Amino acid sequence: MLTEIIFYTFSSILICAALGVVFFRNPVYSAVSLILSFITSAFLWFLLESEFLALILILVYVGAVMVLFLFVIMMLNINEQKANSRFNTIAPLALLIGLVILIEMITLIWLKSNQFTETLVIIASPSSENNTLELGKLLFSEYIYPFEIAGFILLLGIIISISLTLRSKKGKKTQIISKQIDIDPSKRVQLVDLERGDN
Amino acid sequence: MITLQSYLTLSAILFAIGIIGIIINRKNIIIILMCTELILLAVNFNFVAFSYFNQDYTGQIFVFFILTVAAAEAAIGLAILVALYRNNESIDVDKLTALKE
Repeated sequence: MLTEIIFYTFSSILICAALGVVFFRNPVYSAVSLILSFITSAFLWFLLESEFLALILILVYVGAVMVLFLFVIMMLNINEQKANSRFNTIAPLALLIGLVILIEMITLIWLKSNQFTETLVIIASPSSENNTLELGKLLFSEYIYPFEIAGFILLLGIIISISLTLRSKKGKKTQIISKQIDIDPSKRVQLVDLERGDN
Repeated sequence: MITLQSYLTLSAILFAIGIIGIIINRKNIIIILMCTELILLAVNFNFVAFSYFNQDYTGQIFVFFILTVAAAEAAIGLAILVALYRNNESIDVDKLTALKE
């Protein structure tokens, strides 16, 4: 009973926060609303006994990615854009498309619900093993190569974002490689004939 | 008893909200990025719910990788946004017509 109350309360908070992301006019409010929806879904993941991923969601998403979003929003100073009319003629069309997608997916989910209950074994008692321990065992044995590729993707992210945003200073003294290559050697080195001395 | 269908329905609602957000706010790149995060969250919800009801940890491994890739994607997208703002003095989508001319 308590689980149902928690589930329905938290999922309604999650849906309201997601609607807030879409319909707030100020991007800062949208970002804060997205933070709320991440935290709420982390609590819902606790209900699904995936504690490690819930904590990772809070730490990585709320702690790093959303702070990055807020940082960029405040750095770019785009608050003057909120006066523009964002809800234009395409809004009814968007609502229609979203409703159609939603109805299709919900119909499929509830039509096929017999198959879910047949194939899926719902285990009442939680597994005795530690969730983080189990994930770690899988991650470092069976999925070690995808894990290394994920590390490489993060490295690529670092390199790309630094090289995109790096701005060289104006008075910086560096080598200009094209000029160095274009040099004519005959202008650089001058051969001078010297008379040999007698001493 | 909360069934798998409840979680899948919640995830479908989140996904639809993300799609609506991308279409409505198509003038604002930052909100489009946030709606992408919302859609990825819906996908992760599916993975975690199936992982719990099947008692199979592979779904949670997948969520781990999706979180990694999404973090890299957000970092690169925001870096592109900063570079765009530096060149154009705005991130308005309507002013991004340099390739048209």
